[in-house]
Amino acid sequence: MGGPNGPPKSSLPIKVKKQLSDTQAAWFLLTPLLIFFAISVVYPVIETIRLSFYDIRGLAPEKFFGWGNYLKLFSDPNFLTSLKVTFIWAISATFFSVTIGWGLAMMCSLNPRKTLVFRVMIFAAYGVSEAVSGFMWLGIYRPDYGLLNGILEGIGLSGWTQPWLGNPSTALGAVIVAYVWTQVGLPLMTCFASIQSIPKNLFEAAYIDGAKPASVMRYIIAPLSMPGVRVAIFINLLNSLKAFDLIFILTGGGPVRSTETVGFFMYRESMLNFKLGYGAASTVILLIAVLIVSIPLIMKRTGDAK
Amino acid sequence: MIQTKTRSKTILLGTAALLTGLAGSAMAQEGELVMINWLGGAQGEMMTKLQEGFEAKYPDVTVRNVIPQAGGDARGGIRAVLMGGEQADLLINTWPAFRAELIEAGLILPLNDSYASTDWGDKLGESWQALSTVNGENYGVTYTFGDRSGIWYRTDTMATAGITPPETYEDFISGFATLNDADITPISVPAKVWAHAEWFESLLLRTAGADYMTRLASGEASWTDDEVKVALQKWQEILAANCCDDGNTMLALDWDISVDAALKTGDAAYVLMGMWLNTRAKQEYGDTPGEDFDIFQFPAFGMGHDDESMVDAKEFNMLSSVENREAAEAFISYMLTADAAGIMAEYGLASPSTEVDPAIYDPVIQRSVDEVTSAKKLQFVLGDLLPGDLGSEYRVALQRFLQDPSNETIDTITAQLATVAEGAY
Repeated sequence: MGGPNGPPKSSLPIKVKKQLSDTQAAWFLLTPLLIFFAISVVYPVIETIRLSFYDIRGLAPEKFFGWGNYLKLFSDPNFLTSLKVTFIWAISATFFSVTIGWGLAMMCSLNPRKTLVFRVMIFAAYGVSEAVSGFMWLGIYRPDYGLLNGILEGIGLSGWTQPWLGNPSTALGAVIVAYVWTQVGLPLMTCFASIQSIPKNLFEAAYIDGAKPASVMRYIIAPLSMPGVRVAIFINLLNSLKAFDLIFILTGGGPVRSTETVGFFMYRESMLNFKLGYGAASTVILLIAVLIVSIPLIMKRTGDAK
Repeated sequence: MIQTKTRSKTILLGTAALLTGLAGSAMAQEGELVMINWLGGAQGEMMTKLQEGFEAKYPDVTVRNVIPQAGGDARGGIRAVLMGGEQADLLINTWPAFRAELIEAGLILPLNDSYASTDWGDKLGESWQALSTVNGENYGVTYTFGDRSGIWYRTDTMATAGITPPETYEDFISGFATLNDADITPISVPAKVWAHAEWFESLLLRTAGADYMTRLASGEASWTDDEVKVALQKWQEILAANCCDDGNTMLALDWDISVDAALKTGDAAYVLMGMWLNTRAKQEYGDTPGEDFDIFQFPAFGMGHDDESMVDAKEFNMLSSVENREAAEAFISYMLTADAAGIMAEYGLASPSTEVDPAIYDPVIQRSVDEVTSAKKLQFVLGDLLPGDLGSEYRVALQRFLQDPSNETIDTITAQLATVAEGAY
C-alpha cells in the first residue's frame, strides 16, 4: 500500500545475478566459433598432413610412405615447373594489381565524389566470380573470333594477333592480365580508404603553400597511404597463391603445363590422377608458402595493434 | 582402412545381393533405386527421360540420383561419393581404367549370374560383353556406344570445296590443298585438353591395330615401340600437308570451338569426335543429320587394320553397396529394350541391343552403327584405358608434339611416356 512517502519498496527478494569474468565471457563467446573452426579448418589441415605421408592411388588401400611423397615432389619436373609458375604468377599478379589499384586510388582521391561510380565499377569486377570472369576472358582471347585479336586487326596490327592462350610464351601473361582485372578493385578500395584517413589539414597546408596535385600525391598521399598498400599486398598475395578457377577455365593448366600453378598441380594429382597422398603433399608445400607469407605480416599487424 | 571396411562390406553385401538376386526374378520390383548419375547436358536430360520411362513401367520403383560434385573429370566426384560411403545401387561408367580401379577396391560386383538369369546376354553381342569383361568376369552392361573412328563434316562445306568424303589415306591428304584453296581449314584439332588424342588414336588403330592398342593400354607394349612412332610419323605427314592451324592455335582450341568451326560455321572441313556431336548438331544448330552434316569412317591406310573401329561406350556397374538388386536389374533390362533405344535415338545416341531396329536411327547414327557392327575388331578409346597419371602425361606429350612435330620430339615424348608408364601400372 502506498503512503505519503510514495510507493513502498518491493518486498520481492532481490535476485543476485552471477557475473561472468572477462575470461569466462570470452570463452563462452568464442567456443562455438572455435568448434566450427576446428571442424572446418583444423581437422582438414591435420588430415591433409596425415595423408601426405601415405601413398594413395585411386580407391586402392593407402600405404604409409613416410617422406616419400615429399622427396618425389622435389624430383618431379612438373612440380618444380609449377613452383616456378606459382612464383611468377603470385609476384606479377600482386605487383600489377596493387600498383594499378594504388595508382587509381590516388587519382580518385583527388575528387572522391566525381569518381564514385568509377570506383564502384572497378570494385564490381572484384565481386564477380572468377568463373564468370574466366568465361568473359575466354571470349576475349579466342583465337578465331576473339575480341582482342579483332581489335588488333581493326587497328591494323594483324601481325600481333595470335592464340594468346595456346602459345606457351603468352598464356601465363594472358591469364595474369585477366586475373589482375578481377583483383584490382581490392587495392583500389583499401588504398582509397587509407588515403581518406589522411588528416585534411595536411592537404590544406600543402595547397596553401602552393603545392600542385602531383606534389601532393608524391609527398603526402603516396607515403601516408602505405598502410592500405600493405594490406592490399597481403590479401592479393594470398589470393593469388590460392587462385584456381580462372586458370581452370582459361587454360586448364596448359598449354604444355605453362600455366600450371601449385594449386592446379594439386588439383590434377588429387582429383584427376587421384593420387591423394601426393596431392596432399603438394598442398602442404603450398600451405607452408602461404604461412611464410602471412605470418610475418600478421605478426607485424598484431604488433602495430598493441 | 577404407579398403578393409569396403572389402568386408563387399563380401557381406555381395553375398546378400547374390541371395536376393537369385530370388529376384520371382519378386516384384519396388522401392527406391539409387543411381550415381554424373551425366549433364543433353545426355543428363536423356537419362531423366529414360528414368521416367522406367518408372512408368515399374510404378512401384522410384529412381533417386546421387549427383557427384566435380568440375571437369567426373571420376573425382564419383570417387569422393564412394569414399564417403554413399549407398547406391548402380553407377554409370564410361572409363574402363576406372572400372578396373573399382574392381580392385571391391566396389562393384561381377554380373555373370545376372547375365545368366536375364536376357542381357541375348541382347548384347559378344564383342559388347567382351568390352566389360575382366579376367573372365563381366562387370558391366553397355547401354549406349559411339563410333570414335568417324570424321564429321558439313555437306555444304564439301560442296563448296568441290570434294567428296575421302575413302583412302591418299585421297584424304590430297584433299587438303583443295580445301585450303577454298579458304577452309581441312581439320580443326582442339588440343587444349584432350580431344587432340583422338587423331593419334585413330592413326594408331589404322597403323598398328586394335590388338596392339590393347597391349599398349595394359602396359604390355612400350611407348617407345616402332608402332607408336609410325603413328606419330603419319601425323607428321598430315601436318606437313597443311591439314591444320598452327600448333599454338590448336593448343588454344576447346573441343566446342572446333566443332562449331566444322559443323556450324564451315570454317573447317573435318572434326574427329564422339557421337555426342550428333546431338549437338541436331539440337543446338538445328541441323538435319545426313542432309546438313554427315560422317565418314577414318580413311583406309592399307596397313591391315582398315576394318577395325574405335568406340566409346557407357555402361552400368552394379555397386557392392546395392540394396535393391531387383530394381537395378530391371532398370538395366529396360535400358536394353526398344523403348529405351527410341529415347536414346531421339538424342542422337545408339543402343547396342539386338532388340533395336536400326530404322529408328537417323542416317548418321545408322552409318555409325553399321560401321561398328561390321568392324572386325573394336577398340575402346585409348585415353580412357590408361591409368590416371599416364593419361594426363599422354595428352600433354601430344600437345608437345603438335607444337613441334619433329623426329626429335617423337623420340623425346615416347621416351617420357615410357618412363611414366613404368610407374603407372
